[in-house]
Amino acid sequence: MRGGGGGVPEHRSLLDRLFWRVGTVVVIVFALLPVAWIASLSLKPAADLNDNRFLPRDVSLEHYRSIFQDPQFPAALWNSVGIATLSTVLSVILAMFAAYAIVRLRFRGRRLVLGAALSIAMFPPIAVVGPLFNLWRNLGLFDTWPGLILPYMTFTLPLAIWTLSAFFREIPWELDRAARVDGATPFQAFRHVIAPLAAPGVFTAAILVFIFAWNDFLFAAALTSTNDARTVPAAIAFFTGSSRFQLPTGSIAAASMVVTVPVLLVILAFQRRIVAGLTQGAVKG
Amino acid sequence: MSLLLACGSREAGVPTLRWYVFNERSGAFQEAARRCSQASEGAYRVDFVPLPADASQQREQLVRRLAAEDSDIDIIGMDVIWTAEFAEAGWILPWPRETAEEVAAHRLGPPVESARYDGRLWAVPFTTNAQLLWYRTDRVERPPETWDEMIRMAEELGEVGTIEAQGERYEGFSVFFVSLLASAGGSVLGEGEGTDSGSGVALPREPTLDALRVMRKLATSPAADPSLPRAREDQARLAFEAGGASFMVNYTFVWPSARRNAPEVAEHMAWARWPAVDPGRPSRVTVGGINLAVGAYSRHPELAFRAAECIASAENQRLAASQGGLPPTMESLYDEEEVREAFPFADLLRETLRDAVQRPRTPLYTDVSLAISHTLHPMSEIRPEEDLRRLRNAVVRALRSEGLF
Amino acid sequence: MSRLVSRLPGLWHRLGRSAEERLGWLLCAPAVLAMLLVTAYPILYALWLSLFRYDLRFPDRRTFVGLDNYASVLTSGVWWESVLNTLIITLGSVSVELILGMGLALLMHRAVFARRTLRASVLVPYGIITVVAALAWKFAFDPVTGFINPLVGVDHAWLSHRWSAFLVLILTEIWKTTPFMALLLMAGLTLVPKDVLDAARVDGASGPQRFFRITLPLMKPAILVALLFRTLDAFRIFDTVFIQTRGAQNTESVSVVGYNALITRLNLGLGSAVSVLIFVCVILIALLFIKGFGTRMSRPEEAR
Repeated sequence: MRGGGGGVPEHRSLLDRLFWRVGTVVVIVFALLPVAWIASLSLKPAADLNDNRFLPRDVSLEHYRSIFQDPQFPAALWNSVGIATLSTVLSVILAMFAAYAIVRLRFRGRRLVLGAALSIAMFPPIAVVGPLFNLWRNLGLFDTWPGLILPYMTFTLPLAIWTLSAFFREIPWELDRAARVDGATPFQAFRHVIAPLAAPGVFTAAILVFIFAWNDFLFAAALTSTNDARTVPAAIAFFTGSSRFQLPTGSIAAASMVVTVPVLLVILAFQRRIVAGLTQGAVKG
Repeated sequence: MSLLLACGSREAGVPTLRWYVFNERSGAFQEAARRCSQASEGAYRVDFVPLPADASQQREQLVRRLAAEDSDIDIIGMDVIWTAEFAEAGWILPWPRETAEEVAAHRLGPPVESARYDGRLWAVPFTTNAQLLWYRTDRVERPPETWDEMIRMAEELGEVGTIEAQGERYEGFSVFFVSLLASAGGSVLGEGEGTDSGSGVALPREPTLDALRVMRKLATSPAADPSLPRAREDQARLAFEAGGASFMVNYTFVWPSARRNAPEVAEHMAWARWPAVDPGRPSRVTVGGINLAVGAYSRHPELAFRAAECIASAENQRLAASQGGLPPTMESLYDEEEVREAFPFADLLRETLRDAVQRPRTPLYTDVSLAISHTLHPMSEIRPEEDLRRLRNAVVRALRSEGLF
Repeated sequence: MSRLVSRLPGLWHRLGRSAEERLGWLLCAPAVLAMLLVTAYPILYALWLSLFRYDLRFPDRRTFVGLDNYASVLTSGVWWESVLNTLIITLGSVSVELILGMGLALLMHRAVFARRTLRASVLVPYGIITVVAALAWKFAFDPVTGFINPLVGVDHAWLSHRWSAFLVLILTEIWKTTPFMALLLMAGLTLVPKDVLDAARVDGASGPQRFFRITLPLMKPAILVALLFRTLDAFRIFDTVFIQTRGAQNTESVSVVGYNALITRLNLGLGSAVSVLIFVCVILIALLFIKGFGTRMSRPEEAR
């Protein structure tokens, strides 16, 4: 098992390498096949929707044009990006504090916090939506960014706290003391020793929170009403086909392709940080 | 509350009325809102506020907000089946008696009936809808008159003889059942004396058995589409446009769609009345469409009534018909050229609409609809005698809002 | 309000006898407050509602019925069938996802060839909006318009029969959320110290031996979190089932039952009871996990 970085290089047989390469290709195809299917649907003109072909016979950008002409979609895109980003930042920060406390400090109620966090993650969201709607209207948070950021933060905190706790538990905190004994300031010790070790957990939690906020339909549909705060999944519900009964498959497919781009960017940016902790091997050695 | 004021852009002085209705694609509704705002000469302004495309999502959003006494909702584009429910819950205002007569005049009977509940009028009918039979003229000489005949004709055609219908477990399934039942001479709820809220269960034996037999026959016939249990209106349309089907029961939207997407099919596509169940008795289908009601918590109810009347007026119905493909509720419009151009089948449609029936008129309609679709789905597994009994029990429980479905 | 403020110093001191205790609570406070604000009221309200017979359409006819709603749900065949269906979907998808996810994690960890493409593409399914993913797979399996039937060479209406419908549902779920497992497991792999593995290899341990004896046990916390949260989510599956089958052909999940009662039929009492029961089921599952795994998450550092 490779730890990465320096160390004894492992001799891989040709068969071994081939196996991993083929495996890689298979995985990429399996992961992206339906995405290619969605892309294909987004490029097929409406008339060709029901040919059994995987690839479009004629390529048409009509769906992309139509979603950007509709004022709802660009606004929803902006809302999605902003709300998901803010939710991620807030959730991860709060979770970091809590996880640090749970793992490193002794205080009564440690397990209570973990347990309560878990319980909240277990309640069916449908039942929460109704009362939350009423509460938000009374507080003036209906159809606002905070109105969505708060539930997203809340429902991702349990996962974030548990994930970060699992990671923080494994961090050798004594290294921090050792570094400071060696003359580093607390901040330097934190930045150069602890932070890289904590990074995998933090960025993992960040991706999970972001995607939750990005994907959510239930809260977005119930707690928004105008372009002020409506996010993309909720806006998709407003897409119409040419008539009341027609499913706007092309528009939905086009919208999904467009919104996958920011997610892809986030993933690309963060995935490197997650395995940056590979240097842990070097540190321990 | 202050947030709601910030929501709509308000010019000082002119009250804004917000019209919540499904997101109508062609722009006909927005145009109607604009026209009425202008015609009011500064008395009010109508803002078009879109709702999700799916009817049950629209209802979900509206109900949530009306239950919270949202004063932002002035005019509601109501699906015809919501009348009893919204009226009973006190979420919409009854139409003022003085203007109710006038509003109902000159409109087709069934759409007006759909806006009535408990002796009052609760909405003004705006657009309507009903299903027709669509068939391929290059494969059959004349359209079938009954379901039995259609199934036989389809089976004789072999592979291309598929019948498209809506068999997924959703509202359209209940629509199908209620239409068949009405065509067989029965109804789900009993006609009560005095009130028209239909509180008793009817489901008379022979008509119900006939309807169930037709459903079973269709679903188990080789002429059935294999994905019938998953088919909604749009899937049926797509399958018909793909060419593998010869018959389809569906709404009128399939006509412009076929002309646009599958001209080779549209060339040989014709319409006829929905197939009958009994040879002697003409078929009856359920009526659909949109009525306009006024929200109970609106801050300008009198203006809202006026605006709703304006939106539902003849000229806007004409626009909705020619631009949006939505059949009008005013009888005379069916004779006009613009409408007849959009609906070449205007006469047949009007005739069908005149005979149309209501879906069960009860505030608990969604429960009843769930009971019907959950009990009878999938069609191929219907056992008429047993399911008659099960259906009766399910509807009784639904009317008492008991138990899970 | 002012009485509460004047009580705070006392509360503060009772909360933490030591500075460490107080710091602990202070750090947890924002998270706890956020969670309470948003979920305490709705959850308590739902619990409260479940004790009433309350139909939103007849708000005046609200009556207290105690545990009647629960009795009604627990004696309903619909409920128990949906529990079974949900368990089938949950077990089916989570078990496959764990194995696939582990494999993917290993792949992502070791891969040199096309590493970034691999890692990005693995996570893309997770980033696709659930509703869209469900629609895409539904469309793909459609006998008329989809591409699966021609590909596999059969003419089957997948979603029209119970078990093939389960297959489609589970496949959609697996496609969509294996990345979640893979992500957590891959990050968990980074916790395994390289030097221990190197030492084992030098000692002659084979690949599988190293994996099962060293890697897996050291990954236990990550596996627990991944499995626990994934199972909790899987049990509450809604969007995919709603979009693909609407619960027909006996594939209804417990959340769909709850939705029908709460939103479609506006029977708040019954719907809330269903929600609370779902909650109870999920708690049971969580307890099973935690007991089974026995990992302590909150041990302070000196115990390591």
